Amino acid sequence: MSGQPLLLLRDAHRDYPHSGEPVHAVRGVSLDITQGEYVAIIGPSGCGKSTLLNLLGAIDRPTKGSVTIGATAVSTLPDKAATHFRLTNIGFVFQRFYLLPVLTAQENVELPMAEAKVPATERRSRARELLGYVGLAARADHRPAELSGGEQQRVAIARALANRPIVLLADEPTGELDARTGGDVIALFDRLNRDGMTIVVVTHDEKLAGAARRVIHMLDGRIVRDEPLLRRA
Amino acid sequence: MAPWEAAVRTIAIDQRLAADAGLRVGDLVVLAAEPGRANGDTVRIAAIVQRRADPSEVARSEYRIRMHLDQLQRIVGYGDRVDRFAIATAGGAAADSALRRINSVAFGFRAYPSREIAVETSKTFVVVSRFHRAIGMITIVASATFLFCIMLLKVDERRRDVAAMRLMGISRATVVRTVILESSFVALLGSLFGVGLGFVTSALVNAHYQAVYRTPLRFAIVTPGTVAYSVLLSLVLGIGAGALAARRLARTAPLTLFGR
Amino acid sequence: MRFQLAALSLRRHASRTLLAVLGVAVSAAMLLDMVMLATGMRQSFATLLGRNGFTIRVSPRGTLPFDTEATIAQARDATITMQRIAGVTAVAPVLGTTIHVLGGPNPVTAFALGVDPAVQGDYELLEGREPVADALVASDALLRATGARIGDTLDVAIGFDPQIRTYTGRRRVVICGRARFTYLSADDRAAALPLASVQAMGGPDRSDRVSLFMVRTAPNVDPEATRLAIERALPRVTALSTAGAIAEAEHRLSYFRQLAFILGAVSLIVGFLLVTTIVTVSVNERIGEIAIMRAIGVSRSHVVHQIVIEGIGLSLTGAAAGLILGVFTARWLNSILRGFPGLPDAIDFFLFQPNSAFRALALLVASGVAAGIYPAWRAASLPISATLREEAVG
Repeated sequence: MSGQPLLLLRDAHRDYPHSGEPVHAVRGVSLDITQGEYVAIIGPSGCGKSTLLNLLGAIDRPTKGSVTIGATAVSTLPDKAATHFRLTNIGFVFQRFYLLPVLTAQENVELPMAEAKVPATERRSRARELLGYVGLAARADHRPAELSGGEQQRVAIARALANRPIVLLADEPTGELDARTGGDVIALFDRLNRDGMTIVVVTHDEKLAGAARRVIHMLDGRIVRDEPLLRRA
Repeated sequence: MAPWEAAVRTIAIDQRLAADAGLRVGDLVVLAAEPGRANGDTVRIAAIVQRRADPSEVARSEYRIRMHLDQLQRIVGYGDRVDRFAIATAGGAAADSALRRINSVAFGFRAYPSREIAVETSKTFVVVSRFHRAIGMITIVASATFLFCIMLLKVDERRRDVAAMRLMGISRATVVRTVILESSFVALLGSLFGVGLGFVTSALVNAHYQAVYRTPLRFAIVTPGTVAYSVLLSLVLGIGAGALAARRLARTAPLTLFGR
Repeated sequence: MRFQLAALSLRRHASRTLLAVLGVAVSAAMLLDMVMLATGMRQSFATLLGRNGFTIRVSPRGTLPFDTEATIAQARDATITMQRIAGVTAVAPVLGTTIHVLGGPNPVTAFALGVDPAVQGDYELLEGREPVADALVASDALLRATGARIGDTLDVAIGFDPQIRTYTGRRRVVICGRARFTYLSADDRAAALPLASVQAMGGPDRSDRVSLFMVRTAPNVDPEATRLAIERALPRVTALSTAGAIAEAEHRLSYFRQLAFILGAVSLIVGFLLVTTIVTVSVNERIGEIAIMRAIGVSRSHVVHQIVIEGIGLSLTGAAAGLILGVFTARWLNSILRGFPGLPDAIDFFLFQPNSAFRALALLVASGVAAGIYPAWRAASLPISATLREEAVG
């Protein structure tokens, strides 16, 4: 694990207009995450954790403050550049999987690579490799409707890894899964982190939070507690 | 008026001739059977008449004048001859009886009721009517397809609402009735709007073609029958499309509608 | 992958896509038919008039050819005058009248043309020879009506007075040929005789008179200049060039052209609206997917391209189907309009001209592109995080 911060937030604010009175979803958050860390962000609903993740993933821009990923100040990037940055540097996993229902598992994994103009043979082979990594090589030609929730989430994780991102961001990745399949996903995240992937998850799931090595507690848009090293049982 | 002008006979000309030749009531003109003839009859324009709303005259660019029969016969050298007689009767039985008597004593010509002549001379407009009906049929097919497509989309958009209703225990029949009611309302509103639009466009069509062909003929007439037919057809199409789309949706399992 | 995604998205709701394609096909067919109607009449009329190379028609002053019963007097002098005008290579006189074929229980009435067989442009000889004195060529309809054949003799008369039941002229003529009359319909009973025969049979009223002249000009001569020269030389006639005749016909039939334009425009609008609606609804249903694609790094332009490709797919497929449907409906509509009484056989109202047809369909496809752009751009520009949040709640 390198000591240099990979993700840097400095005094980040995010406000949303709401019937004249702005909602302060994130209030002055500063945060460093180094390469190879496995961070869980927890807190009650509406505390701003998903918004924080969106800022970290260059999906959203702070109203004030800065976000830097690697050497790139993503908070100042124009939309086109931010989009390309996400494509090539960030892997995103969502609570509701959001696989394209018309594509097979393999094609869903290939999608980001196709956008990054990876040649067809190379992306097919990498997609198969990633599906093998998540344990779904045999289901490559199945459509999402033919996969269970856990299988869909693993395909989503494989898709997030397609363009070799520097960080994996996950918003409630076990939120729609039962305990057993959630456990599979947690194990996969653990394995990814051991293989060197920097992971930031937002979660209500205690088990998932417990698997991380650093837990950040949020309340009302602020970080109230940051436990960098969590002892494991 | 000069003394010699008192002996001048009069004619009536149509509006088109008056407009194109710049003629007015009181003007003197020379009538001749051949162009360029110097020794024609000098006549005075006594009246300018509106053209008849006769469809057979619509596309023809000819001018019409009305003059005394004996003068025309003399000018063209026709002698004591006419092309036809038009006979007014007291109507009904009197017309039939006159027709029989004329045909029994006529020598070299026949009498016809006016409506028979109208039918014979309107073959062109029979063709135009058939053409319009054909275009109408194509338009109806296109409208029906479009309508069904839109209804299907609109009902599909309500998929989640319908799913929630079904999960709550509301029956298929109620769902279908609700959707049909909505589509009936839309169809009715659309029909009324269409009728209004029809009146406006037919007024525009008449104004335009009356100007182009310089005729008082009305090209488009919206009759109560036309309105009733159009409204009925659009209601049937609109409600039918809504019903088909609603039945399709109601047959789908609620969880499938939610995307599960 | 964009084409693949677009195709799969269309297949996802197969019945909806099929209906949309059908709707676009009907719009395309209507558009194609209206383009054919707008150009067909002009083209086929121009082809008809240009046959045999006659570029100018000369009729009694203020009238159109055969519009009235008026005739041009001193036809021989008029012919000589016109032949002396520079650029005139042939002058074909024509005298039209009604002819009665006697001998059966009921006389058969036909339309007769008195022509100069050496320069005539009114018929095409199918069988037999050109008529000389006391001979005629007949249309198939006349032969059928009289039960006669080439070589038979007919008792014909002109100038019937119904009151005293007499004719101004009557003679026996031999059927020397069978012809197709260019400016008449196939059902018309028609005959062509030498001009002198018709004039003689027509009595003093027809002596040295014609209904019209058809004039042929040299290839490098401007017909308009010749037309003006004729009118200057013969003040009692109206000379009409082919272009003028077409303009006059277009004015009389302007109703059909304008109808074609209006219905064509409506078809284009309907096609556009249909594709816009389909694409908009389809995009609205996939807002979440689109937001995810944007979140994982798919560019805005990719999203727009994909959705526009769907619009093009609908329009192209519909246009192709509409082309086939349009050709069939055009034939049907043409057969209806060809029922106009007295319409020459050679006139078609709906004429398929590949350039015009493909331009019209290209316009429809272009409108499909335009239809997809706005909903696509709107969807691709939605704020990603807010959209994801709404979709999660939804």
